[in-house]
Amino acid sequence: MSKFTKEMVDSYADKLLIGLTEEENKLVLNEFDIIDQNMELITKIPNISNVPPMTHTLDDFTYELRNDECTPSISIEDALANSDSTEGRQIKVPNVVEVTKQ
Amino acid sequence: MMDKSIKELHELLINKKVTSDELVKEALQKSHEVEDKYNAFVTILDDAKGTMVTDNLLSGIPYGIKDNYSTKGILTTGSSNTLKDYIPFFTATAVENLEKCGAVPVNKTALDEFGMGGTGTTCHTGDVLNPWNKKRMCGGSSAGSACAVASGVYPYALGSDTGDSIRKPAAYCGIVGYKPTYGLISRYGLFPFASSLDHCGVLTRCVEDAAIVVDAMKGKDAKDLTSFDSSNMHLYNSLNGNVKGKKLFYIKEIVDSSNYANIDPLLKEHLDNYFKTLDNLKVLGVSIEEVSIDKTLLQAIPSVYVCLSCAEATSNMSNLTGIIFGPRGNGNNVMEMIKDHRTKGFSPLIKRRFVIGSYILQKENQEKYFVNAQRVRRLIVDKMKELFAKYDGLILPVGTGPAPYIDGSVNHISNNDTSIIEEHLQIGNFGGFPSITIPNGFINDLPVGINITGNCYDDENILNIAYALEGTMNYKGQVAKENNNE
Repeated sequence: MSKFTKEMVDSYADKLLIGLTEEENKLVLNEFDIIDQNMELITKIPNISNVPPMTHTLDDFTYELRNDECTPSISIEDALANSDSTEGRQIKVPNVVEVTKQ
Repeated sequence: MMDKSIKELHELLINKKVTSDELVKEALQKSHEVEDKYNAFVTILDDAKGTMVTDNLLSGIPYGIKDNYSTKGILTTGSSNTLKDYIPFFTATAVENLEKCGAVPVNKTALDEFGMGGTGTTCHTGDVLNPWNKKRMCGGSSAGSACAVASGVYPYALGSDTGDSIRKPAAYCGIVGYKPTYGLISRYGLFPFASSLDHCGVLTRCVEDAAIVVDAMKGKDAKDLTSFDSSNMHLYNSLNGNVKGKKLFYIKEIVDSSNYANIDPLLKEHLDNYFKTLDNLKVLGVSIEEVSIDKTLLQAIPSVYVCLSCAEATSNMSNLTGIIFGPRGNGNNVMEMIKDHRTKGFSPLIKRRFVIGSYILQKENQEKYFVNAQRVRRLIVDKMKELFAKYDGLILPVGTGPAPYIDGSVNHISNNDTSIIEEHLQIGNFGGFPSITIPNGFINDLPVGINITGNCYDDENILNIAYALEGTMNYKGQVAKENNNE
């Protein structure tokens, strides 16, 4: 029996603000045991707790500080061009702070 | 005309046998034919015009851009409904570098949504069909680029590669796919999928063209701090075909038939064909040795990839909200609007990857899966670097054979014994290694590929070995001949 449930799959998706249809949930749920088994292969490698995690591709990568120079930035018109809802120089959204009645 | 190489086209342009406008016109006409037959493009740039021909080999010559490279004023969708109308206000550095050479983009090619797939069947514009056989996939994610180059639309198209997204479709379409060392080409303006694994690169019909194009795309970029100064690297000028004394290795656990119980006859043929090709290199004076690597480590490769790529993707794609770009979702507040946009915009298969990423990043799984995957990544990369200290490169067959059928394609996750041979190209992304696939003949009238991967910054050497090997076979510059007899 699977250790995963429909609710668990929905909850993982919901945390990324993604909704799943019944069919999509089923697609993931049906494969989740195999996915999990595959992930387990990682934990089968012995004695790795002291291996430093590799978070960057190149070992010899060095951070460089750029000069603090002002460079041109995009125009307001360009920034607004791809939004579906704008007003004047602003992107329009519903109230972010919701009013609740006491 | 567009079935010719970059050098051949350049000669014709310089000698005024053809004009850049004529080449662009032909590439556009071919684009429409290929779109009708194989569905390879998101956008065809019908108003593209020829450019001035200069001494630069790329001047005046048409090419294609994968639709996850930002192009100012030109629709750039990542083949996703979440960005179906998105028009960037800036151009990716790699594309800008080609523009400076006078190269002419004629289309934007379809990909698996945001590069997150290996089949070319998850594009918002529909499946990309293989030009050798329409029932087969091109592979992905650079499906449209591979299809177009193989069909002779132009000599090259840009690709991106996070797991094998240039090198696998190249094999399935019978062309060359080259992903250079991480940081050689700036990623500025490339839609990020998994930043520690993403690479820019190119698909061509010969190694020489791959070298010419990447010479033009590369360079340190202040907008991508992971890019490095490569002004001392001259890929095209380094191709001399002299490989005497070079040393390559292959991994026994991947190519020895005895690893596969009840081996599929096609895989057997693929492996036999691969070993036959190794003999060509030996004739050129290359020594090739068998190396054994702990199978447990090799078996973990696909899982490490899934873990890291899905986890990184969940973070990279969090800006896809539909608020500042993309179609606006419905809802009574911002969170509902974002959720509606993402729910409607992402396809089921990309949602699956996000769910996996979310699962891996749950507090209780982070150390067990995500951090351990980063540890295993280091073990794999260290092992490869140890071998690259002794050898010039690793040579392996690409995948288990020719392109699979689109119907019943591998859009599901499996754990069978061919997973290592299917996914080993991901090693190149883990270590940022230069890696090139070239055509290696045919099985059942469908192309198959062979891959050479080397140590970071050793791109000149790896390309030269691929160039020499290409010269021993008859597949250089080949254009797909459709054959649907099956």
